[in-house]
Amino acid sequence: MKKHSWKKRLEAKEKRIEQMQGITKSRIIPTNKMVQALETLIKPGDRVVLEGNNQKQASFLSAALAKVDPGKLYDLHMIMSSISRPEHLDLFEYGIANKVDFSYAGSQSLRIAQMLEDGKLTMGEIHTYVELYGRLFIDLIPSVALVAADKADAAGNLYTGPNTEETPTLVEAAAFRDGIVIVQVNELVDELPRVDIPGSWIDYVVVADKPYQLEPLFTRDPRHITDIQVLQAMMIIRGIYEKHQVKSLNHGIGYNTAAVELLLPTYGEKLGLKGKICKHWALNPHPTLIPAIESGWVESVHCFGGEVGMEKYVASRRDVFFTGRDGSLRSNRTLCQLAGQYAVDLFVGSSLQIDAYGNSSTVTRGRLAGFGGAPNMGHDPGGRRHSSEAWLDMKTNDDPLARGKKLVVQVVETFQNGNKPVFVESLDALDVKNDAGLATAPVMIYGEDVTHIVTEEGIAYLYKANSMEERRQAIAAIAGVTPIGLEHDIRKTDKLRREGLIALPEDLGIRRTDAKRSLLAAKNVEELVEWSDGLYEPPAKFRSW
Amino acid sequence: MKLAFLFPGQGSQKPNMLHELTKHPAMETVLQESTEVLGESVYNLDSKEALASTVSVQINLLVSSVAILKVFEAEGVYPDIVAGHSAGAFAAAVASKAIGFAEALRIIKLRGQLMEEAFPSGYGMGVITGMDEETVKELTYSCFSEIEPVYTANVNAPDQITIAGSVNALNKVLNRAKEGGARTAELLNVSIPSHCSLLNSVSNSLYQELLKVKFQQPVIPYACNRTARLLRSPEQVREDLAFNVSHPVKWHDIPSILCEYGTRLFIEMPPGNVLARLSKKARPGARSLSVDENGFGNCLVLARRFCSRHS
Repeated sequence: MKKHSWKKRLEAKEKRIEQMQGITKSRIIPTNKMVQALETLIKPGDRVVLEGNNQKQASFLSAALAKVDPGKLYDLHMIMSSISRPEHLDLFEYGIANKVDFSYAGSQSLRIAQMLEDGKLTMGEIHTYVELYGRLFIDLIPSVALVAADKADAAGNLYTGPNTEETPTLVEAAAFRDGIVIVQVNELVDELPRVDIPGSWIDYVVVADKPYQLEPLFTRDPRHITDIQVLQAMMIIRGIYEKHQVKSLNHGIGYNTAAVELLLPTYGEKLGLKGKICKHWALNPHPTLIPAIESGWVESVHCFGGEVGMEKYVASRRDVFFTGRDGSLRSNRTLCQLAGQYAVDLFVGSSLQIDAYGNSSTVTRGRLAGFGGAPNMGHDPGGRRHSSEAWLDMKTNDDPLARGKKLVVQVVETFQNGNKPVFVESLDALDVKNDAGLATAPVMIYGEDVTHIVTEEGIAYLYKANSMEERRQAIAAIAGVTPIGLEHDIRKTDKLRREGLIALPEDLGIRRTDAKRSLLAAKNVEELVEWSDGLYEPPAKFRSW
Repeated sequence: MKLAFLFPGQGSQKPNMLHELTKHPAMETVLQESTEVLGESVYNLDSKEALASTVSVQINLLVSSVAILKVFEAEGVYPDIVAGHSAGAFAAAVASKAIGFAEALRIIKLRGQLMEEAFPSGYGMGVITGMDEETVKELTYSCFSEIEPVYTANVNAPDQITIAGSVNALNKVLNRAKEGGARTAELLNVSIPSHCSLLNSVSNSLYQELLKVKFQQPVIPYACNRTARLLRSPEQVREDLAFNVSHPVKWHDIPSILCEYGTRLFIEMPPGNVLARLSKKARPGARSLSVDENGFGNCLVLARRFCSRHS
């Protein structure tokens, strides 16, 4: 009887490693032999995870992969959190890869849409981050993981530090299924500050020709915050955070949310809210949170990733951030996304388009940016069982099986730049579904999950709506002079205000004339640096002095 | 991080533009070569009167762009990526070394002549701002007729759309646009309905002529006017030079695609600053300069600093 092997994957791995004899006899790949190593360790048709994270890019490995001979290595199935660099798409142009499953492609959204249109790549699916990580353990199990770390020691232990992000998860999926894990490091050292990923999970280490690419994606210069954004931030603090006693939250990145962060020490203080709201955060180390931290608002922050320039500040505020014994930040996108799903009261983010029922999307025709973390942060998780004050405040009836909801807030101005209405009858996402041949329309946040919408006109408390019609009316009432807004009968406004379905600034005790940039705790990057006692070191592009 | 050179098209020209070019031996060489190819002094062609003809306009634009391109090159600054708007595409092709300057000059003169002959009067272009492409398309469909055709033409920004066709139909569309809430809706000072199918015969003739020219492998990517993809093959560049005049220029995607490929500094060749302003608006994260507005000296210093940091 023919003997069936139950360890085919391991046998295949051992064979590949055997073929590496000519390149290296240890676990260190010589920097100048990287392309050859990739041609040896990866086989055509392999599923390859490539970092491709939100912030951290394994840029040495991706550049090397783009240089392999497409005659030897082709038809790879790439799995990437974030399609970020030009060479990520060059892989498909050259035939090295042909299929991709991903979450976010913001900085390559035009080219990927063009390549899809031209038939130059096949898309698997678009995911939210934690959904993609989940599939790494189910039906997108990788054969190879190409990742980046700061340092490695001789045993292959890795220090990923503040920029740990989702590396441990990506490595685990490959390491424990007999996949091959290759890591690029900035340097080899004798002793690591701490071990973030153990060496027994790693197959090969290569010292890159330069440090892995890292972008400061979560820094917003307060100089660009407008008076309208200040008004919206005041409404959010008063009309949502105070009203519902929001203790834990996540801010989607943007100038709107940066304004909220910068108003806590001023407007929030005036309302006497310190210690009552905004204590626990699932958030990257936003420089704009510095004033609130320094003023004693923030008890804890868990981070998805790091932020360039914030390393020293974070290390010096151990009581607030998750820090290792070595003193540096430990981030973890997988766990932070999980925390943001189940363990926070509220998510607030912005959007480009909202329809009459609150469905929200950032896709536009001709661009395929994907989702990132928003669909995960911006939904009400049915599996939640623990209650909190804010979550219970979303309960609107006494049904014995009634439960609370996560607060999901969308903050937008009624018009985007270029006179484009944000509130529309039909989302562009529907057209993109057809253009790109997607199975479902790429909606970012579904209307049924949205509990509040904030515009420059006021707040719509959608969780209070008893019907689709009521929801539509509440949205129309704050949708300004967009086509949706124009269907609103202003005689209905008072009724909606009385019923608490909408609130105008004056209903919240906010005078529009009070909403000025001067209310921001820091009005520019220099002031953030001052707040941080000089510990925050803004990257060059944010320094104008 | 890459450096992109932008090359302006019709609309950016101004009287005396060649006389005002930065003085430099490399510039003089280009102007001298132009004079030889044209068989008359190129300096005669930049007066206000001469610029009434699109032939002179296009010659001037090519000469001006290539002259300053050559000055940059002489000073050690080379672009990583190039994009020209309409007539400017010829200078971009020269910069990518797909076609030589003398050939480009000969062909662009022909382009101007063919355009002028095809539409002596009764036609033109307009521009609408504050409205998106879909809405402008609907307006043009509603005003179109076989005898008085009108089409959407270039998309310079998501809310800046040009239209092309017969003047009567153009005026109809412009009026409807104003009523429909457009920020501005006006005729352009051109008499040829460029960038729509009315110029198909011009494109076909140009293509035939361009087939006789040997195109080389571009040494740097060239942004295609019609599709906003980056082109790397000689045949594709030839096609774009022939057919961009009868198709809308999708300019609004070009700063974006250039940035996605890593561009962080845009420099527009003279004259004018139209393209620099558009790219600044489209991609404020990248730096956009124009030689005309910022001065050649400043552009050179910044380009050198940028290139040394990012090589």
